Amino acid sequence: MTSYILRRLAQFIPVLLLASLGIWAMIYAVPGSPVGALVGENATPEQIAAITARLGLDQPLLAQYWRWLTAALQGDLGQSIQSREPVLDLIAKRIPATLQLGLAATLIGLLVGVPVAIASALKPNSLLDRILSAWSALALGVPTFWLGILLILLFAVHLHWLPSASAYIPFFTDPVRALANLALPALTLGLYISGIFSRFLRAALLGELLSDYVRTARSKGLRERDVIGRHVMRNAMLPFVTIVGLSLANFIGGTVITEAVFTYPGLGRLLIQAIGVRDYPLIQGCILFILAIYITINLLVDVLYAYIDPRIDYH
Amino acid sequence: MAAPVVSVRDLEVTFVGAGRPVPAVRGVSFEVAPGEVLGIVGESGSGKSVTSLALTGLLGPSARVSGQITLAGIDVTTADAETLRQMRGRDVGMVFQDPATTLNPVFPVGRQITEGQIAHGTLRREDAATRAEALLREVDVPDPGARITQFPHQFSGGMRQRAVIAMAMAGNPRLIIADEPTTALDVTVQAQVLSVLARRQRESGAAVILITHDLGVIAEVADRVAVMYAGRIVETGPVAEIFRSPRHPYTAALLRSLPRIDDDPERLTAIPGQPPHPGRLTPGCSFRPRCPVGHGRAICETEPPDRDGVACHFPGEAVAAPPAARPHAASTNTASPLLEVTDLRVEFPIRTGLLRRQTGSVRAVAGVSLSVRPGETLGLVGESGCGKTTTGRAIMGLIRPTAGSIRFEGREIAGLPRGAMRRLRRDMQYVFQDPYSSLNPIRTAGEIVAEPLRIHGLHAEMGGDAYVAGLFDRVGLPRAMMSRFPREFSGGQRQRIGIARALALQPKLLILDEPVAALDVSIQAQIVNLLKDLQRELGLAYIFIAHDLAVVHHISDRVAVMYLGRIVEESDKATLYARPLHPYTRSLLSAVPVPDPAARGGGRRIILEGDIPSPARPPSGCAFHPRCFRASPLCASTAPEFADHATVPSRMACHHPMEVAQ
Repeated sequence: MTSYILRRLAQFIPVLLLASLGIWAMIYAVPGSPVGALVGENATPEQIAAITARLGLDQPLLAQYWRWLTAALQGDLGQSIQSREPVLDLIAKRIPATLQLGLAATLIGLLVGVPVAIASALKPNSLLDRILSAWSALALGVPTFWLGILLILLFAVHLHWLPSASAYIPFFTDPVRALANLALPALTLGLYISGIFSRFLRAALLGELLSDYVRTARSKGLRERDVIGRHVMRNAMLPFVTIVGLSLANFIGGTVITEAVFTYPGLGRLLIQAIGVRDYPLIQGCILFILAIYITINLLVDVLYAYIDPRIDYH
Repeated sequence: MAAPVVSVRDLEVTFVGAGRPVPAVRGVSFEVAPGEVLGIVGESGSGKSVTSLALTGLLGPSARVSGQITLAGIDVTTADAETLRQMRGRDVGMVFQDPATTLNPVFPVGRQITEGQIAHGTLRREDAATRAEALLREVDVPDPGARITQFPHQFSGGMRQRAVIAMAMAGNPRLIIADEPTTALDVTVQAQVLSVLARRQRESGAAVILITHDLGVIAEVADRVAVMYAGRIVETGPVAEIFRSPRHPYTAALLRSLPRIDDDPERLTAIPGQPPHPGRLTPGCSFRPRCPVGHGRAICETEPPDRDGVACHFPGEAVAAPPAARPHAASTNTASPLLEVTDLRVEFPIRTGLLRRQTGSVRAVAGVSLSVRPGETLGLVGESGCGKTTTGRAIMGLIRPTAGSIRFEGREIAGLPRGAMRRLRRDMQYVFQDPYSSLNPIRTAGEIVAEPLRIHGLHAEMGGDAYVAGLFDRVGLPRAMMSRFPREFSGGQRQRIGIARALALQPKLLILDEPVAALDVSIQAQIVNLLKDLQRELGLAYIFIAHDLAVVHHISDRVAVMYLGRIVEESDKATLYARPLHPYTRSLLSAVPVPDPAARGGGRRIILEGDIPSPARPPSGCAFHPRCFRASPLCASTAPEFADHATVPSRMACHHPMEVAQ
């Protein structure tokens, strides 16, 4: 297993290198220049030249890439053009907020999606199954920005129970205020993802229920709840874990729309702001970070596979 | 006589769904006494498995069950779900067909064995490990203490089936239902598992219902037999009587259609047609369309028969042909070989570690030499994993050989470039085992058969659609079926399509990889006869790859026995079956269940210990020595040469061949 993890980590290197090249080259692929965005329209050619030189944009392309890469490898993703703060600091400040929202949303998705899937799979095509399937379709179909606005209208504007704008309060410093601020954005994302979770898990459970080992388990005289809850569930987990991992990565990478609706200080909004002002070092840093999140969670999912299914042998 | 453990009266099971209701079981009655083994034999769709599931209340919600089933005093058809749940595992244990899928892959074997008892409250959790270990020991699993924490994939097929038997016996049930318990196993492993099952049955005094399509297995272990056809028991009686003097024409025909290693007729007596689909039964007797007795008799077409427990209007008119060993003309084929394979090796690399370095190799084929003459059939037989399929594929060029020479019509073809190999495949075609997955489901039968012609650009040249229609005639399929899709064909018909496709390019050699293994007994005989006819008419050479020694015996001129990537013995058929020299051949032959209850026991059976070793870690010296009953220290150190025997016209690789009986 250790060898497998090391090998997977080694595979990160070419992936990240290739991605970094793409991310870095992005600056030259989009119209407009960062200097133009920085100095404004009335700058003199001398001012532009000075800033270009300060940013190193007058160097040959490969030299620029090399400098950026060696710096990035030492943990220096450069300075934000806009705020002059180190990019790494800006991202690091947003990570706890984004992590907290992503985990809370995934948790809500699981708490709603898993029971719905099990209830559906126990009696497929029953009335309950059809009602729950309709619910899942609704959860998937309603746009998150619209659901977010509805929740704000109900809980913040009418009932005054919860704040309409969600600040980031670390859960462990003030759980009550943290939950109050987290509730609406987490519910918005969680309900949406519960639709995906329940559909995937229902399909996986129904597929497993046709397996021979289910008949064997019943022939031993096991109770139906143990047949489903133990035998079938464990096997259905394999495809399900993949989906949960992907959606978690998606959330941690930043949820642009939901963060915008709730003015939540997550990574998604940081990236959008950076794009708005062509803050290239910050854009590059954000994308690189999101990529690393995806790769890491994928690795965690693969490691989890081996714990769920003993047949998977990572050598 | 003691009260029966299970008694079934007028059982009917009908599946209702979107379409017409499908009557799967139509009025079945039987009893099984304590300690008795009832064999239920029948082809696919005969209703034998549905009967067993009805007995335990395990049929799904789409099944409508009527009639009376009394199992251990419980009225199964009226009992509530909780009563049935408590009955399962306590009063009845079940063994299913495929041990690869009947165990849950994600839980340790030991836990699965005792799980039922814990659910019934008859075993405390803290005693579970000890109990599982004891149960595994009773079914001869070596080192049971270590085995209980292992997962199913760490068990071999035979070990898994023993674990399933241990699981079925865990609650000391009064009835064991074994549904095709050895069908998925190799013949030497089948012999082991059957002997374990029989011993555990004797020790526990349980009644057994053994469901199988294999008349040989029935003859080995059953006390009484019920023959099922189209949802009914057509005949039932003591095993010796059924085999000696069957009264129903179906039973008689089934016995005649079997290839046997103790008989060598020119042709098998196939049953024409195919078993009826339960949803499309004819009125009157369901066997009438295939029956040799009832033809033209009006009563068979109108009245469902039932006389003295035999479902036939004219019982006793059918006679089983007694096995009579007729001398078969010895092969006098002296033509120069069409195909000559010398020291063929196929190795697959094993890569491990951080840098994926090659740390070993699986020697799937470890030096095979064989030859096939025009018009001749070479049978290539061996158990799973012995490399017989890999050999066939390497000859076809579907797998690149690691070393060795393959000469076709005198020309070296190993390692030919792709284009040249493709042209060569005109002369050499392959028929696959599984007729269900080897035909493209979205093309019509006509297109499938014509495809090789189109690939080689010969469709017009060979005569276009008329030629393809001729191929359909040749394999016995109506031309009207050319426009149908594979799903509309039965298994036997699909295999005919596969054969027609292989014949399209007029090859000289067919490599037939288990072509009848997936088919019912009565259909198997039809296909074997077809292959023999085609060979005679077209002068084809066959390499017939199979694990079934009886089928190989029937169709082959010469037979090569493979074990762990090597040919251990090769000879003409008569010599090999009558005077096996290699201990492996000897035990393989002795393990074949013979469909003759009179031959039961007699001490002829050699049950091999253990499993086939992994080709990634073959034993030193002679690969067979760890399982061999004649092995000496020499065998562990030195691999024997594959060479001619002094007195018997065979080639074999053994230091201590069997003595030749004069």
